[in-house]
Amino acid sequence: MTWPRVLLWRLFRRGRAPAELEEEMAAHRALLAVEYRRRGMAPEAAEAESRRQFAGTTQIREQYRATQRLPLLDSLAQDVAYALRQLRASPGFTAAAVLTLALGIGANLAIYRVLDAVLFRDLPVRDPAGLVQVQLLESHDPQRVSYPLFRELAARQHVLEGMFAVSDVALPTPEGARGYLASGAYFRTLGVQARLGRVFTEEDDRPGAPPVAVLSDAFWRRSGLALGQTLQLHGARAAIIGVAPPGFYGETPGAARDFWVPMSLQPLVTPGDRINGAAYSWLSIIGRLRPGITARQAEAALDPLFREFAHLTVTRFGRSYRARVAPANRGIGDLDRRFERPLWLLMGMVGLVLAMLCSNLANLLLGRAAVRSHEIGVRLALGAGRGRIVRQLLTESLVLAAVGVGAALPLGSRGASALVSLAGTGAGLPLETGWHEAVFTIAVALICTCIFGLAPALAATRAGVLSALQPQSRTTAGARRRYFGNSLVVAQVSVSLVLISGAALFARSLWNLRNQDFGLDREVVLVDIPLELTPQAIARQRALVWPLYERVNALPGVRSAAVSAFGPMSSLVRTTGVSTPDRPAQRTDLTRLVCVSPQYFETMGIPIVEGRGITDSDRAGAPPAVVLNQSAARALFGGAPAAGRFVSQSDHYDSKTALQVIGVARDVRFSSARDPFGFVLYVPIAQSAAPVTGLVLRATGNPGILAAIKGIDPNLKVGPVRTYGEAFDAGLGNDKLLAAIAGAFGLIALALSYAGVYGVLSYAVERRTHEIGIRIALGSGRKGIYRMVLREAALLLAASLVLGGAGAVAGTRALRGTLFGFAAADYLLPLLAAALLGLAAFAASYLPARRAAHLDPVDALRQD
Amino acid sequence: MDNRSEVPYGTLDLMVLRTLESLGTLHGYGIARRIEQVAQGALELNQGTIYPALLRLEQKGWITSEWGASDNNRRARFYSITRAGRKQLAAEAENWSRTVAMMARMLEGES
Repeated sequence: MTWPRVLLWRLFRRGRAPAELEEEMAAHRALLAVEYRRRGMAPEAAEAESRRQFAGTTQIREQYRATQRLPLLDSLAQDVAYALRQLRASPGFTAAAVLTLALGIGANLAIYRVLDAVLFRDLPVRDPAGLVQVQLLESHDPQRVSYPLFRELAARQHVLEGMFAVSDVALPTPEGARGYLASGAYFRTLGVQARLGRVFTEEDDRPGAPPVAVLSDAFWRRSGLALGQTLQLHGARAAIIGVAPPGFYGETPGAARDFWVPMSLQPLVTPGDRINGAAYSWLSIIGRLRPGITARQAEAALDPLFREFAHLTVTRFGRSYRARVAPANRGIGDLDRRFERPLWLLMGMVGLVLAMLCSNLANLLLGRAAVRSHEIGVRLALGAGRGRIVRQLLTESLVLAAVGVGAALPLGSRGASALVSLAGTGAGLPLETGWHEAVFTIAVALICTCIFGLAPALAATRAGVLSALQPQSRTTAGARRRYFGNSLVVAQVSVSLVLISGAALFARSLWNLRNQDFGLDREVVLVDIPLELTPQAIARQRALVWPLYERVNALPGVRSAAVSAFGPMSSLVRTTGVSTPDRPAQRTDLTRLVCVSPQYFETMGIPIVEGRGITDSDRAGAPPAVVLNQSAARALFGGAPAAGRFVSQSDHYDSKTALQVIGVARDVRFSSARDPFGFVLYVPIAQSAAPVTGLVLRATGNPGILAAIKGIDPNLKVGPVRTYGEAFDAGLGNDKLLAAIAGAFGLIALALSYAGVYGVLSYAVERRTHEIGIRIALGSGRKGIYRMVLREAALLLAASLVLGGAGAVAGTRALRGTLFGFAAADYLLPLLAAALLGLAAFAASYLPARRAAHLDPVDALRQD
Repeated sequence: MDNRSEVPYGTLDLMVLRTLESLGTLHGYGIARRIEQVAQGALELNQGTIYPALLRLEQKGWITSEWGASDNNRRARFYSITRAGRKQLAAEAENWSRTVAMMARMLEGES
């Protein structure tokens, strides 16, 4: 193997120019001549003798050149130059091909980049592989823990180098920035240094330490805040002591953090003393393993501690608790779990689209190869090996792919950011390039080249010298081209069938989501009144319950209105336990508490199926009442009438605080499309002392609701005013996005199939012009010609539908879990897609068929 | 009969390295002259063939070169041996003497 050395030599010394050799040889000969003269020869004789001694200069030059040659590289350079010339010679083709590839590869890059960021990327911290999440499992469900439990664990464990607790509840700040509490070891454990100032440490987390805050790089840039300035956080004014490095977004991918403050500030900035109170489970724990300790060993060591101190966090009687230590190299949170499926789906779709684009391109190249068959024949005849010509044609494809990738790179990064912002979550998701992406890009480009370049190159060179040079040989070469072309079109149409049925299924799923039975009137108007979790805000909004209720009901045009706390689509959800004398709360229960004023059920359009709703009579001091939803009534009373029975709003029944069931309301989709119904307890807001967090109303015209609210309390923040249907729709972001993208891909696929069928049939007609001319001359009718061409289209279509149909059914089966409200009848959708494709294919074949049928036999026969 | 022999295959590199090792920096002409002197007329050397050999040796990193002025004030390339070249020379020389000794034993034994 000498070529690597020669390559290095040429790269770094740039080889040696022939002129240098000439100079060296001339100098050599001159010295020889001097020597001969010195020995007494006449100058001419000396000159001649030196030339004799130094013979075979041509050979020497040749040898010298050969020593510096890199056969593969030099012919590659030649091929690339030739390919560029060829591509420049047909700018239309080149532009179309590059555009096609740029779009196809760009889309793949965009999805891949998001996929990579969501599923594969480690946290941007020191040695992410050492990080673990330490969880408390209740049976099998991970639970948040309280601060006292964390404190005991941190003080007693020996298996972790460092561990910290962090909350994912944003602190209320006037600037609307998202700040979070983290214990003192946060930055040390992650191994993150400040880019400016310093990060906080355990020292800053002592009780009574001066309040400090560390900003994220992005927030620091955005806010214009400087070190030494302060952030007002309700009861504390935190001094900014440092800025985290760029790219560090915290421990939860997809959830951007603006700043962090030490845990000890908690009692000053949010309600309740959670530092010493065990009644809050709100923290996640992350630690870094000591060298040589495995996650399993750490789990074994931490488990007894968890069991011993589980009483320091929120636990429930009769449950078993244990520790789990899981790798946290990609951080914590559920971004990957939520987006894994849709992202792989998108990846599959763009992959299929790219495959279609490539086969389209292969068809174009096949056409070009046919045009160039004479040139190729000449080169074969002049002694070029077939391998050499295939290599040259492949180089051309590779150059195309390279240019396409170049154009795809900016498209890919734009597309990735667009996708993230369209998905609405994952703000701050770091979409960075890395070696993953480089490998992916190169692999995609190479695979594309093989798909669209190899078959045409092989086909173009297979014909052989003679047939390529003979003009009549079009039939044999043409037959081969037709065979390739037909298989490509069959592949294309099959893939489009899969893509179009996918699009139809997603559209159907979206339709199902929007048109499901919500259990209420979608036209009811909801006004969200966000609640800050501060004692002042809670007191203020508690006092506003009845003034708002009366003011809104008095507005002209309002037919009915009600106020509520924690209702459907509210930004706040309150959960509770529920039990009856016979049935304590169960682990699987999901019970929401909703506090409502009179007229609530009437306004929302939630039917009362048993008993009565909440009325004016359920005021403070009246017997405590509750309305259950159907799911709760069924589970708690097993189908027996619920009205008149008693339930406790806690895990264990207590007759002293029991509420009497006065009615049962229908189940309602609470906050999102795939929300399980769960249990709902509706209690009178008059008996609950809850703050108002929402208004619901039905009105004719525009009653000026916002002005009315401002009239009562001008400082009250009010969320969007929208109908339940609109609020629900806004939560369908991912489903809409998937349906839209799938629809777009479906359309592209349809267009490509159309173009593919059209191209293949046009070529078939052109190739058979002579034959068709004879048929017409012999008296074949137009109908017969039409039938002949359309039969070809029908054969292509039939083959594709068999292949694609199998793919579509398999795809439908794979998608079933993702689709909402999938019914067996939805298997008809692929059939519909097939019908659509069939229509497109026949439309595409009509023009070539018409051209064939209207051929002038005289012209046709004169052609060759 | 001419008892001058052609340069045996593969020995030219060795000769060049040895020459540069013993005489230090030389230009192509100097190297060729020195080889002829040492061969004492026993070698038919086309002096031009040392240039591809020099290039090959330089590519392998066994010698380096730079431009300088020759005795008659023409520009000439001067070659010198590198550390890697010395090592290679030592290894090759050892190899070569072993081969020669072996051949000698074999031929003596045969006759």
